[in-house]
Amino acid sequence: MKSIFKILAAATVLAAFQANAADPQAGKKIAENVCGACHGVDGKSENFPAYPMLAGQYPDYIVHALKGYQSGARQNPIMGGIVGNLSEQDMRNVAAWYASREPGVEDTPDE
Amino acid sequence: MTHRSNRFTGLLLASALAVISTSAAAQPQGDAQAGKIKAYTCLGCHGIPSYVMVYPTFHVPRLGGQHEQYIIDALKAYRDGKRSFPTMEAQARSLSEQDMADIAAYFSGLDSKN
Repeated sequence: MKSIFKILAAATVLAAFQANAADPQAGKKIAENVCGACHGVDGKSENFPAYPMLAGQYPDYIVHALKGYQSGARQNPIMGGIVGNLSEQDMRNVAAWYASREPGVEDTPDE
Repeated sequence: MTHRSNRFTGLLLASALAVISTSAAAQPQGDAQAGKIKAYTCLGCHGIPSYVMVYPTFHVPRLGGQHEQYIIDALKAYRDGKRSFPTMEAQARSLSEQDMADIAAYFSGLDSKN
């Protein structure tokens, strides 16, 4: 009986983990359809100095920024319009995609 | 009538020129060397790889190699209350536009590909 509970508990934890797991390939589709026009599909935005490079950025920071645009903590006419269509899972997915690209932004060196 | 419209065109040109020169003056040229010194405080958080903010929990963004213009815009947004984050609002309000330009020049130049 005890082992059934253990299996159930493990399955619940696993299910919760999988629901939260980010899928960079699903994120790539969002990058191609939504973000890429300004930020670049690979997150380099080389021709648009006003739009941040996302390649190599921390994924949890990207999610934090997107949630800020959604809640109004960050006010930006372009981003405010765009995030309205994204679910939290979409945000995690697209953040995982950009974080996995060849870095455009890097940690600052230790001097 | 032609005379009047000429004068009008002149006025338009003059005001257009005024707008152009104001916007050019509004953005100071960034000096990365000066920015390196001014960025001392920034590096307390942005200089430490994997440094994590608490409540809410997320990594402080990487700035090395980021676009200069974007860094300036972000700082101004914090200063003007268009981005809310207490630490960054306080920092941005302590900076002049020259400071912002210098700091942005410094961070955007920190790029291993350079």
